[in-house]
Amino acid sequence: MEQYSILGHIGEGAHGIVFKAKQIETGETVALKKVSLRRLEDGIPNQALREIRALQEIEDNEHVVKLKGVFPHGTGFVLVFDFMVSDLSEVIRNTDCPLTPAHVKSYMLMLLKGVAFLHQNNIMHRDLKPANLLISFSGHLKIADFGLARLFSEQRERLYSHQVATRWYRAPELLYGARKYNEGVDLWAVGCIFGELLNSSPLFPGENDIEQLCCVLRMLGTPTQESWPEIVELPDYSKITFKENPAIPLDDIVPDASPQAVDLLHKFLVYPSKQRCSARQALLHSYFFSAPLPAHHSELPIAQRAGRPPRQRPQGLPADFSLDLPLERSLVDATLLCWTHLTGLANVNT
Amino acid sequence: MFHNSSHKRFWIFKSEDELEHMRCKANQKFRNKILESGKSGANESIFLERNEEDVLFRYYERRMLDFCNAFKPAMPKSVVGTGIMYFRRFYLNNSIMEYHPRIIMLTCAYLSCKVDEFNVSSTQFVGNLVQESPAGQERVLEQILEYELLLIQQLNFHLVVHNPYRPLEGLLIDLKTRFPTLENPESLRKSSDDFLTQAAITDAGLLFPPSQIALAAILNSALRAGLNLESYLTECLGLKGDKEMLARMYDSLRRIKILLKKYELPKAEEVNLYKHKLERNHAEFSTSSNKRKRGYEEDGHVAKEPRLTEEEWTDEDLI
Repeated sequence: MEQYSILGHIGEGAHGIVFKAKQIETGETVALKKVSLRRLEDGIPNQALREIRALQEIEDNEHVVKLKGVFPHGTGFVLVFDFMVSDLSEVIRNTDCPLTPAHVKSYMLMLLKGVAFLHQNNIMHRDLKPANLLISFSGHLKIADFGLARLFSEQRERLYSHQVATRWYRAPELLYGARKYNEGVDLWAVGCIFGELLNSSPLFPGENDIEQLCCVLRMLGTPTQESWPEIVELPDYSKITFKENPAIPLDDIVPDASPQAVDLLHKFLVYPSKQRCSARQALLHSYFFSAPLPAHHSELPIAQRAGRPPRQRPQGLPADFSLDLPLERSLVDATLLCWTHLTGLANVNT
Repeated sequence: MFHNSSHKRFWIFKSEDELEHMRCKANQKFRNKILESGKSGANESIFLERNEEDVLFRYYERRMLDFCNAFKPAMPKSVVGTGIMYFRRFYLNNSIMEYHPRIIMLTCAYLSCKVDEFNVSSTQFVGNLVQESPAGQERVLEQILEYELLLIQQLNFHLVVHNPYRPLEGLLIDLKTRFPTLENPESLRKSSDDFLTQAAITDAGLLFPPSQIALAAILNSALRAGLNLESYLTECLGLKGDKEMLARMYDSLRRIKILLKKYELPKAEEVNLYKHKLERNHAEFSTSSNKRKRGYEEDGHVAKEPRLTEEEWTDEDLI
């Protein structure tokens, strides 16, 4: 701990406080996640063990947060991560700079690369959601919070807990109490995140578990044995019945999305988990190869975390300066043409 | 995957000599610590010699195995394998005179249950100490939780152990699909399994990758059934053209087999003698403070009331 100087408080994790700190020797800014063991009747929490075991054993990936080290401290230990300026939920919430289709595409590309990498390494994340997708200073998206991650390559078919994933992103099989499931739960969450990026609001914002299921069924239609054969085997299938209703066309759910986006979204949001499009396959979808192409990470908005004043934009430039627009439309704007702006522009142009 | 695991990078050692050297160093480190502290009663004769430590180590390792095998609900093999590997890794750098194996072995088993997602609650875990009263179980649990942090530190936070059970399954599948010469690969399973159980309580896991241990198990089991699998190595595992690699593979397999052959059950009379010595050692030099408790004080929290010392329960209470 002597190697670090604490710069501030980032947030409260499930099992400890997260600090922003500077490593004194290298000057590097890091996030320190403190896991305290005080008053825990089962000792070191499973979430912390899972996080260490998942992140320690995989190779570096551009889109997965890096565990830089673990060291003991006081009553517990501290996990050291790269410091990230923001997360995707902040980006979505930040109404000052709404996401363009190219931005959404870029975030999806990075998310899918990360998920493909995890699945290739036999890791199910089980808690993908915008708040767990961190954004680096350079605009890169990195998957974080492996507190629920587990390996799915176990020899024996073990039962998993269905109490995983944050409700809005929980796959329908989990809502029906499935104890055997697969990486499809992550792909469902990817679909939910995709929808949220397209709409700037969550796709299935259920207030409780029952309502969550209602939300999903209302949009995708009541599942039948034809559309979802495995449903009859799910523990809570017989416990609850819903009034039958047809699916709402996805175009109506994400009205502003391009046909390719709707097509890809449709491949994630299907009931049978095995039919969901794998992350690897999704990366080859025409969505990513049609105009507008994914934005470069340097063009992505960097929303600051809540609780801090937003970064001041340079005064001289128009607020909606955008690389996607023709230059004259954003620069040559009569309302912005006053002396101060012109001097500002002159500086930019020279 | 094994190839980029902490297991491969940090916990596979070159030779038995290297392991023995580490254990000697741990033994010496403890002696020095006590002698330097100038405690009364500290003279060379009270310490355990390396070979004596080794007898007790093997004794407690068997106790641990018994505990795990009797565990209810049944503990998966990989959980047991991981726990035993933790135990072996822990005592590479620590002497049993410093940390009593009675509690470390339970802490290893407890941690491996959690890491391997064999979800039992802490009360359920100590509930398996059937000889203990509920109060006794409570006491053991408190100690397990105290030593957990020390253990995970001593393991360098490297939690994932690659056991040879999955490679064994893989090899059996491979034999079935690519090596039709062998009529009934399943017939090799039983004695291969036994081989792996034996291998777990040797240094094999600290010296060889799990796939080689599994291969040794298969080949050994075939040999006992009078089958020759040499052509599997040359034809299917691609060792035909590479004479040197094949020779090295044979050497590894031979060394694994020797490790198993060399294993001796600890003798009861030796165990009793050394155990007596170990208990005296702990009674004399036991450091009452421990990491977790010290942590409480560091953080400015009131230290808990002094607990009953661990000498109050004995091995006989355990299983």
